[in-house]
Amino acid sequence: MFYSFRSKIIASFLGVTFLVGLVSLLFGGHLLTKSVLGEARNRVAQDLNAAREMYDNRIKMIEVALNITTLGYGFIVTLRDRDTSDLVSRLGRMAQHAGLDFAGITDEKGQPICRIGTHSIPGKKAQPPNPIVTRALEKKALASGTVLLSEGYLAQENPQLAERARVDVISAPGTSPLTEKTVTAGLCLSAAVPVLHEGQILGVLYGGILLNRDEKIVDTVRGTVFRNEEYKGRSIGRATIFLKDVRVATNVPAQDGGRAIGTRVAEDVREHVLEKGERWTKQAMVITDWYITAYEPIKDISDKIVGILGMGVLEEKYVDLRWRTLASFVLITLAGMALATLLGCFLAGKIINPVHRLIRASQQVTEGSLTPDIGPVSSGEMAVLQKTFKEMVAAMGRRRAESQDRLVLSERQASVGRLAAGVAHEINNPLTGVLTYTHMLLRRKDLKEEVRSDLQTIVEATERVRKIVKGLLDFSRQTKPDRERVDVNRLISGTMALMENQALLKGVGMVFKPGHDLRMVDMDRNQFQSVMLNILINALDATKPGDSITVSTANSAVRNEADQQGIEISIADTGCGIPPEHLNKLFDPFFTTKEVGHGTGLGLSVTLGIVQRHGGTIQVTSEVGKGSTFTIWVPLEGRVK
Amino acid sequence: MNILVVDDENIVLESCKRVLGDSFEVVPVTSADAALEVLGRETVGLILLDIKMPGKDGMSLLKEVKERWPHIAVIVMSGYATNETVELVSRTEAATFIAKPFTPVELLEAVAKVMEKEGKL
Repeated sequence: MFYSFRSKIIASFLGVTFLVGLVSLLFGGHLLTKSVLGEARNRVAQDLNAAREMYDNRIKMIEVALNITTLGYGFIVTLRDRDTSDLVSRLGRMAQHAGLDFAGITDEKGQPICRIGTHSIPGKKAQPPNPIVTRALEKKALASGTVLLSEGYLAQENPQLAERARVDVISAPGTSPLTEKTVTAGLCLSAAVPVLHEGQILGVLYGGILLNRDEKIVDTVRGTVFRNEEYKGRSIGRATIFLKDVRVATNVPAQDGGRAIGTRVAEDVREHVLEKGERWTKQAMVITDWYITAYEPIKDISDKIVGILGMGVLEEKYVDLRWRTLASFVLITLAGMALATLLGCFLAGKIINPVHRLIRASQQVTEGSLTPDIGPVSSGEMAVLQKTFKEMVAAMGRRRAESQDRLVLSERQASVGRLAAGVAHEINNPLTGVLTYTHMLLRRKDLKEEVRSDLQTIVEATERVRKIVKGLLDFSRQTKPDRERVDVNRLISGTMALMENQALLKGVGMVFKPGHDLRMVDMDRNQFQSVMLNILINALDATKPGDSITVSTANSAVRNEADQQGIEISIADTGCGIPPEHLNKLFDPFFTTKEVGHGTGLGLSVTLGIVQRHGGTIQVTSEVGKGSTFTIWVPLEGRVK
Repeated sequence: MNILVVDDENIVLESCKRVLGDSFEVVPVTSADAALEVLGRETVGLILLDIKMPGKDGMSLLKEVKERWPHIAVIVMSGYATNETVELVSRTEAATFIAKPFTPVELLEAVAKVMEKEGKL
C-alpha cells in the first residue's frame, strides 16, 4: 500500500514533466523548424540578390573597361586611321585587364574591323552581329547585358570559345524529353560602346565574357556570399548559371568530383522561372545533397529569358541544428523527469513516513496498547492528524475503562444472580421437606403447648426462608420485557388504586398528577407495575401519618445516550428521607435498612433491573427529615439492538 | 389410587409420601427412566413431576407421558415458575402447577383440584 502511494506521486510528477516536455518539444520543435528553415530561405534569397549584384557588377566592369579604353591616349586617332595592329594591342591589353573572353571593334555599320588576336578579319560571309553592338549603334550609347551568342559567332571571335560553349546535356532519369541534346550557343556577358568623334560614330568597341564553363564568376560569387564557409568538409554554398535549363557554369559538384556542367534544372523551377519569369525558392536535391535553393531568370537585352541564376545553401547545416536543438529539448525533459522522480520520492517520503507511523500506532492500539508510538511530530495537517489520533486513543481508553467498569458491575450482578438462582433451586427441595414435616407435626393433636409454639416458630422461620428464596429468584430472573404500548397514566392510577387502602389505613395521602398528552410507551406492563408497587411500598414505609406521596408524569425533554425520547415518572414522598451514606447503596441487592424479619432488600435492585432493561434510568434525591423523590426516565420505544 | 412421584431429591419424595401416603398409594421414583418403567408396569392415576431433573429432562418425560398415557393427570412441580415453563406446561396441558417449596395444604389442594377435574372424586 505504501509503495503504490509513492509510485503514484512519482508517476504523476513524471507524467506532468513528460507532458510538459513533450508539448514544448512538439511546439518548440515546430517553431524551430519553421524559423530555421525560414531563416535559411531568407538567407538564400538574399544570397541570390548578392549574386545578382555581382553578376551585374561584372557587366559593369566590362563597361568600365571599354570606356577606359575609348578614353585611352590616341585611341580615337588609331581608330580613325584604322591602325589595326595598334587597335589589336589595345584590345589585348583591355581584354587581359578586364578578363574578357572576346573583344573587338566594329565600324560605324557594325562590321567587325578587328578582334583580339587577329589583325584583320578575313572576308567571310557575314555572321550575325553581336546584338549588343547593334543596340549600341541604335542607341548611339553604351549598351550592355546578357546575350546568347550562336556557335557561329563564337567561333568567329575565337574557335576555342565555341568549343568551350559546347555542353552535352545530361538528363536525369524521369525528366521530360530533351529539346536539345547539346548546347552550342554561348551565354555571354557583353557590352558595347560607340566611339564618337565630333558627333560622328567612328566605330563600336565591344567586349564580353563567355559564361559557359566559366569558373571565375560562380566561384567568386560563392567566395563572396558564403565566404567559403564549410560544413563537415563541404562548402555550404553553390552558385549556378543556367543557359535555358542547362547548367553551364556552376560549382555544384558532379558525382565524379568535377562540376555538374550539363545537368538540368528541376521541372518546377523551369516552369516557374524560365517560362513564367518568377523567382523561385525551394528545398531541392541537387545531385546528391539537399539544398535550399533560390532561382531567378536571366534576361537578355531584348528582355527575353535566356537563362537562370541560381543559388543554393546546403540544408544539412540547418537540419543538423534543428536536430541538435530538439535533442537538447529531449535531454532537458529527461533531466526534468529524473528530477521529478527524486522530488516525488522525497515528497512521498515526507507524507508516507508519518502515515506509516500512524498505521503502526493503530496496529498497536488494536493489539491493546493505549500508548502507541506515533513518532516525531510533523507540521501542518500531519500534526493535526497526529494530535487527533492521540485524542482519539485517549477517548477510546476512557470509554474502554468506563465500559469495563460497567461490564464488571453487570457481570457481578449476573454472577450474583446465577449464584442466587442456583442456591435457590438447591434450597427449595430440602425446604419442601422442612415445611412439609413441620406442618405435619403441627397437625398432631397430642402436642404440648410449648411444643406447638416451638413448632410454630419453626414454621414461621421456614416461611421467611421461602420468601427470601423467592425474592432471590425474582432478583436473578433476567426476563426480557414483554413489551406493549401502555398508557402509563392508566397503569399508575391502577397501581395506586391497589395501594389506596393501605395508604388510607396508615393516614398517608396519595396524590396523582398525570401529565397532559403523555406519550404511549412500549413497556412490559406487569414488570412496570411491580416497579411502581415497589417504589410506592417503599415510600409508604418511609412515611408516617400526615405525610403525603405525590406521583406525577410528564413527557421528557431529555434524551438518552441512544438519542431516544422518553417520559418521566416521579414519586415524591414527604417521609423520613434517606441518609446520604445509604444513597449509593440503595439499589444494591440485599441492601435493606429494615429490621430483621421485614423486607429482603431485593426490591429496589429488581426494580432498577427492570427499568434498565427497558433502556431507562432511576434517579433519587433525598433529604433526611424532608423526604425523597424517585424519578424514573423510560424511553418511548425499546432500543433497536 | 396410585400416585407416581418423580423427583431426583429424596426429601421431596419423602415429603410427598408423608402428606399423601394416608390417602393414596404413593410410588416414588428418582428418575424419568424409572418412571417410564413403572408406567409400563402398573396403572397410575396421577403423576407428580419435577420439571428440573438431571439426565432425562422432566419436560421430555412430560411430553412422552402425554403421548403414551394421555389419560393420566399430571401435576408439575418446579423450583420456580418461569414464563417459559408455564407456557410450555399449559401448551402440553398438564393439569396443574405447584411451586416448590410447598406446604402440605398446597399439595393436597392441587391434588384435589386435579381429581375434581378428572372426575375422580
